[in-house]
Amino acid sequence: MTRQKADLLQGTLDMLILKALSLGPLHGYGVIQRIRQMSGEMLNVEQGSLYPALYRIEQKGWVSSKWELNETGRRAKFYALTRAGARQLRTEEASWDRLVLAIARMRQAT
Amino acid sequence: MNWLNIFAARLRALRGRESVIHDIDEELRLHVELETEANIERGMPPAEARRAALMSFGNFDGVRDTAYGVRGGGMMETFLQDVRYGVRVLARHKGFTAVAVLTLALGIGANTAIFSVVNELLLRPLPYRDAERIVMLWEVTPEGRRQNTTSRANFRGWREQAKSFEGMAAFSDQRVNLTGSGEPEEISLQLATPELFRVLGAEPLLGRVLADEDGRAGTYGVVLGHGLWKRRFGGDPQIVGKPITLNGTPYNVVGVLPPDFQWHIRQRSGTGRPAEIWAVLAMPPPGTGATERGRFLSVVGRLKPGVSFEQAAAELKTIHARLELESTYNKGYGAEVIPLREQFFGNIRKALWLLLGAVGFVLLIACANVANLLLSRVAAREKEIALRTALGARRVRVIRQLLTESLLLSVLGSLLGLLVAWWGIGALVAISPRELTHLQGVRLNLTVLGWTLGISLLTAVIFGIAPALEATRLNLNDALKEGGKGAEGQGSRSRRLRGALVVAEVALALMLLASAGLLVRSFLRLQKINAGFETENVLTMVLRLPAGKYPEDPQMVAFFRRALERVRALPGVRSAGMVNFLPLYGGLGSATGFHIEGQPAPPPGEGPGASVRVADAGYFKTMGIPLLRGRNFTETEEAEARGVVIVSESLARKYFPDEDPLGKRIKVFMSEEPAWTEIVGIAGDVRYDSLTEEAEPTVYEPHPELTYPFMTLVIRTNGDPEALAPAVRREISALDPDQPVSDVRTMNQVMADTVGRARFNTLLLGLFAGLATLLAAVGIFGVMNYSVTLRTREIGLRMALGAEPGRVLMLVLRQGLLLTLIGIGVGLAGALALTRVMSGLLFGVGATDPATFAAIVLLLAVVSLIACYIPARRATRVDPLVALKYE
Repeated sequence: MTRQKADLLQGTLDMLILKALSLGPLHGYGVIQRIRQMSGEMLNVEQGSLYPALYRIEQKGWVSSKWELNETGRRAKFYALTRAGARQLRTEEASWDRLVLAIARMRQAT
Repeated sequence: MNWLNIFAARLRALRGRESVIHDIDEELRLHVELETEANIERGMPPAEARRAALMSFGNFDGVRDTAYGVRGGGMMETFLQDVRYGVRVLARHKGFTAVAVLTLALGIGANTAIFSVVNELLLRPLPYRDAERIVMLWEVTPEGRRQNTTSRANFRGWREQAKSFEGMAAFSDQRVNLTGSGEPEEISLQLATPELFRVLGAEPLLGRVLADEDGRAGTYGVVLGHGLWKRRFGGDPQIVGKPITLNGTPYNVVGVLPPDFQWHIRQRSGTGRPAEIWAVLAMPPPGTGATERGRFLSVVGRLKPGVSFEQAAAELKTIHARLELESTYNKGYGAEVIPLREQFFGNIRKALWLLLGAVGFVLLIACANVANLLLSRVAAREKEIALRTALGARRVRVIRQLLTESLLLSVLGSLLGLLVAWWGIGALVAISPRELTHLQGVRLNLTVLGWTLGISLLTAVIFGIAPALEATRLNLNDALKEGGKGAEGQGSRSRRLRGALVVAEVALALMLLASAGLLVRSFLRLQKINAGFETENVLTMVLRLPAGKYPEDPQMVAFFRRALERVRALPGVRSAGMVNFLPLYGGLGSATGFHIEGQPAPPPGEGPGASVRVADAGYFKTMGIPLLRGRNFTETEEAEARGVVIVSESLARKYFPDEDPLGKRIKVFMSEEPAWTEIVGIAGDVRYDSLTEEAEPTVYEPHPELTYPFMTLVIRTNGDPEALAPAVRREISALDPDQPVSDVRTMNQVMADTVGRARFNTLLLGLFAGLATLLAAVGIFGVMNYSVTLRTREIGLRMALGAEPGRVLMLVLRQGLLLTLIGIGVGLAGALALTRVMSGLLFGVGATDPATFAAIVLLLAVVSLIACYIPARRATRVDPLVALKYE
């Protein structure tokens, strides 16, 4: 198994989950898969961090959950982005962009 | 939204740990399955694929528990855990729990009981539609007597001119004899203008309420009260339209009122008791001079929506000023408006708030005691708490757990307290004064339960917070070290806190005792008042002759003379007499102006005024009213009008200051054509209206002079006056089997009713003050006893070094008494401020009466001395050997 390829900054996990869900509802396993795909296999979220994060986000009202049947006909808990979640995602992306920009400027400065 | 989600999650979590865990497990299991399948697709053998999938999870249980915590299993489950733990702790320390719960139950129970009364009388809406718009209208006499009845002419003036009122009704209570269909019975009738029911917003249960035509001769109609309908007519549903006979006159029943209709204005009531039947008050046409004289109407009005009470009062004053100019009978009279609730409860409101404050104090003392107990337990539990802290429990967490225990105590206390309250309310109703008829409806209702819940939560915090803070302030190292000095090592903080609790308890108890002491002194004064007559062994009863049977005055005079003759002949009767209105009977008397011969005739409505009583010679003798000068009425004067009167001492002093009233002639305006009557005697003053007001000048006329259809017999007996009542009744019915007898009371009962409210207040406040003192004593004892336990080693050491037991005794006593003295100081300051608001409740005693205060301080000091003495004695019995080996 390949270990995580890039260290995650604290608090970034929430944004990644929200981003993954912004393309449509997923169950927990699907969230990990999608983050891996979307990051070009760079980011691998551990299950041990994923579920507590999902529950926390759900309590904050950013995602909602519902038991449904998946593509293979098994009962799975699907998470979907709420309106508040979409707003939160935009906020976090914006602040992330600012951070990236700031770091880039720092590195370019000589 | 956010907190709602969280709360929902916590509620779900509360539904059961199992179901939440199951939820999470299922989700995680699916994850592992999917991972396994993915691994198989990547080419792993199934067994390894699953192992790898599980591996990637790391610690499966850990993940689940973390997830559970996040899911909100936390707070609620912790609470349940705390409750379970608390129950175990309380169950282990049964003695402690019992004392704490009992203490709280007394405090909370007393609070609940008194609050339910306050709620019923002062907070709950009165049982009338838009009751806050109903007001009473009264006159104020030139002498400043408030809430006085008005005349028919003035009522008419108010009703026609006032624009603030939607409606206005006048009424007047009187007693009538109800005959036919069973025993003759005297009942209370309210004559009212038909608007009364509209003003009060009352709907009939059967038939209709009164209308104008019910007042026309030949078609008189009456409305029955629910009680009378049930009692007398067996709740006959066909009663409407049936005839009944009142004072020999036929009436038709037109309606029945519902059971919840209550309407009784005690002030200036002509009967002193609630009416049971209503008929139309006749209003002579305007211009009839007689309507300006005679003030006997009470008036109730309903304000128009949007009209304030002040506006109405101002308007009435203006109108009355106009009326004053129109009639000489109105000279000097004013008018006032009183809201209905104030009319009903204005005179007891202050006492009720005082009582509520008092039970609040009792509860605070109870809290202080429980806090004290908890503090003592802190020492015993410090190791437990230190251990928990060492294992990582945060301070907030430990405080929360300790507060949960406090909450358990207060909830248990409340449950038991409700029992106390339930019993207490029953007792309250039983001892409540007669005038508080509304108290009969007091129940433990939802408002009261809410109040109880509120105060039990509040008390849990009040008594729990200080000990909890104290307990978690421990130094870990000291506490965990075996042989650390135990609670002694807690240092002065905790001791100071306990000292402060004792000071507070003593101060609160002193404030209560001082208030109660003042009330007791007032009450004793009240009972010692010389009302002008003797009350022991006097039986009284009212006889009212129906007009139809005795149409002529001489017939009535003859009946009463014959009745008294028969009564006097009974064995056990020492003397007997009669009067029209008994002193302090609780209702309206008669009063009018008079004219002294030789002085210029006063204009109508002016000149000297006096209460008028119809009496016979036996009345003065039986009631022990002294004849100061002159003579009593003679046998002849009691049989026919001879133009004689007796006047009271104050009348003689006031109107004949420089001359001898004996032999002078006066004209008393009790009839249209009064005759001159000669003053033949001067009797001692009697307080007829109120025990606490000076006696009014009074004129006594013999029955032939001023014939009343009803008289009150007064009978002095050799033995128990009540035992004689049946014999007297027999004599009356031997004379006329249709003649009812009513209001059979001993004079002692009449007096007890008069001071009923004062007795109620005094009894309750005294009870609460006693309870407060007892609790404070228990508190002082607890603190001192604990202190001796803590100092066992020190005391043992002192004694080993040769300290005398006497010195040890003083050591402990000094500590306790110092706290008591500080408490007394604080309490005195508080009491001086508190008793000042009691002024209206006191009689003949200053709000800062030094004797009362001195007695209270002494009492409290002695109680505290006893509470300290027992632990101090224990200290002197400490065996030095045992004490030094103690640790």
